[in-house]
Amino acid sequence: MALSLPPGLTHAEVSFLAEMETVTIVPRQRLDSIDLLSGKTPSLRPPHRVDLSLWLALLLKKQRRANIVPPPWLHPASLSEIVQRETKENPTAFSEPPPVPSRPNIHQPGIAARQNNNETVQLSPPFQASCTADAPAGYLPYHWMEVAEMLLTFAGDDMISLGSAGEIRGLLRDLTEVRAAKMRDSTKTLGADGENVGGVVSLRGVGAMELAENRGFILGVVDGMRRIGASVEATRREQEEEMGGPGGGGGGGGRGDDGDDDSDEDMGI
Amino acid sequence: MPMYGDLGNKLALHAKRTQNLAHLPPYQAELVRAVTREVRDLDKEVTTLLEPFQGSFDPAADHATACTLLVNHLSMRRNKRCLLAYHRTRTDKLEEHVWNGVDVLDLVAQQQAGGGNGAAISGEGGASSSLSPQEEDYVRQYGDLLAAYKGQWTDIDLTGSLEPPRDLFIDVRVLKDAGEIQTEYGYVAAVHGSSRICCAGH
Amino acid sequence: MSYYDIDAILTDAEKIPCTFQLDIPDLGYLDNTPSQPLKAGTKVNLPLWLAEMLVIANTGAADNKTFVTFDLPRALGNDVVQALKADPRAVPLRDQSAHFYGLATHMLDLSEEQELGSVLRKTFVTRAAEISLHARKVGSIGHKAKSKGEGASEMGSNLGLGGAGEEFLRGLDEWERSLFRKAHEGAKAGKDWIESVKKN
Repeated sequence: MALSLPPGLTHAEVSFLAEMETVTIVPRQRLDSIDLLSGKTPSLRPPHRVDLSLWLALLLKKQRRANIVPPPWLHPASLSEIVQRETKENPTAFSEPPPVPSRPNIHQPGIAARQNNNETVQLSPPFQASCTADAPAGYLPYHWMEVAEMLLTFAGDDMISLGSAGEIRGLLRDLTEVRAAKMRDSTKTLGADGENVGGVVSLRGVGAMELAENRGFILGVVDGMRRIGASVEATRREQEEEMGGPGGGGGGGGRGDDGDDDSDEDMGI
Repeated sequence: MPMYGDLGNKLALHAKRTQNLAHLPPYQAELVRAVTREVRDLDKEVTTLLEPFQGSFDPAADHATACTLLVNHLSMRRNKRCLLAYHRTRTDKLEEHVWNGVDVLDLVAQQQAGGGNGAAISGEGGASSSLSPQEEDYVRQYGDLLAAYKGQWTDIDLTGSLEPPRDLFIDVRVLKDAGEIQTEYGYVAAVHGSSRICCAGH
Repeated sequence: MSYYDIDAILTDAEKIPCTFQLDIPDLGYLDNTPSQPLKAGTKVNLPLWLAEMLVIANTGAADNKTFVTFDLPRALGNDVVQALKADPRAVPLRDQSAHFYGLATHMLDLSEEQELGSVLRKTFVTRAAEISLHARKVGSIGHKAKSKGEGASEMGSNLGLGGAGEEFLRGLDEWERSLFRKAHEGAKAGKDWIESVKKN
């Protein structure tokens, strides 16, 4: 009862987490390292670029102590490339997330190894440097929507080097719309019949904010499908059980009632 | 055609409406009484039906009676479910109010005192409380329980806001006079009872 | 869905056509004739909570007869199924039953209507995409539609959706209304968040 929030992260929570993304800044003033819970910040020596958390970068920006270097993927050329990919090249799938950094493996030449044995590279989205000046162009990072919105709102003048704010916002809006339409249609294949029952399309590459927005709806559709299919599924399992045989193995394990019946019996009546 | 279970269904409809309301509508004392009366009547009927058999009833031998008994049983079970669900919906709502810090009993008192205003809210209930005496008791005890639970952690407010901070600065309550504190924004005088000091959000 | 689930309880009140298979002296009231016995072959509309058990319960007789047999309710009749096959979006499900899918899943449990199951799946998914589209549109117009309480019909009205959209939203059953609410809340939370960034 205590938690009144729906399952999953809310928009405000996602936005809060996005502020942990690392961005690149050019300091305008010297500032010594600060000892924070999350570790020491790098000391700032103009005009050397450093990477630090978005929340700190935004604070310094608001105090005019630093400029933020826009991440390459926010460039209009990069954004229009992604729009092109989302609309023309692959109108049904979401575009790929940024590639995982990799390098050649010394012991097995020709096979790329992920760099995660090197402690300085982290792979999970909040720690992967996908919004710094070195991030690859042409890929949308996990927190693309939040980071783009915050950078354009608070560091709009730093983004001018990319192109006009209006142009960038326009492209972002196009992307949002195209991807929202894909989200809407993502559950359509669930209705497919017979053997090749479809699932929700792959959500690989979908951003955190998009997930927060669509979680309720998509889970609702999936749950509805489950409930409509529950009795058919139960019949199928029974048949499998009666036949015994090799087919029975597949349906096993998850046996038992789907817990969805009227639970009058549970009340011990 | 009035039928067994119809009254229970009315309760369920009330519960459905309650779920979508911000406030708690008046307790349907009359309806609840009617439904429980129906269950008692049904039970009496079952006893009468079974009486001639002297405890040795065989359903396979007397289908008609078996069917009647089944219908009676199902009607009682249905009524029980409606009754429980109705009350559960209301206690859920009450618990929500308690967690949100709404003083339910105070609200009730205001409604009663409000006269003209109260009539609009409590509707058919007139000037009486929208809670049953049992519910009032429930709220009081649940409130005590929550207070005792919260009391274990003095430095965390369990019923506080769940929104993550948007600013790097949050309000804190100063417990001890720490004199003047220097921040990068200049000086903030921190005296006992006042409340403003900064904390980094991450 | 739990024991206390109000929607499940209300769904259980939906009635289906049943036929009694034997004479029962004391149940005349079910056919509105309390003083007379209920004759075998009498057709009565019974709520699911009663019908379901009577259909399953065995009389214990040698011929394995049940107390009642049932037919599919009109809401799931051939006309409706054919209309759904033609265009799921054109059928106002609410006019058939406010608990259309709930009723349907109960009937699927009782009878093995393979075809009905697949028509329903297709219907649900097709309409869901449409619901999501409307929920987003309503949000983008920026009206503060009350997402709870009032039905989807009121959410849709006065929002400039046009007659067709409004009509579609009015025809949503309870499951679909809840989907609409979820989709609308998601879209609205997104808009609110962008606003909140600007204010900060």
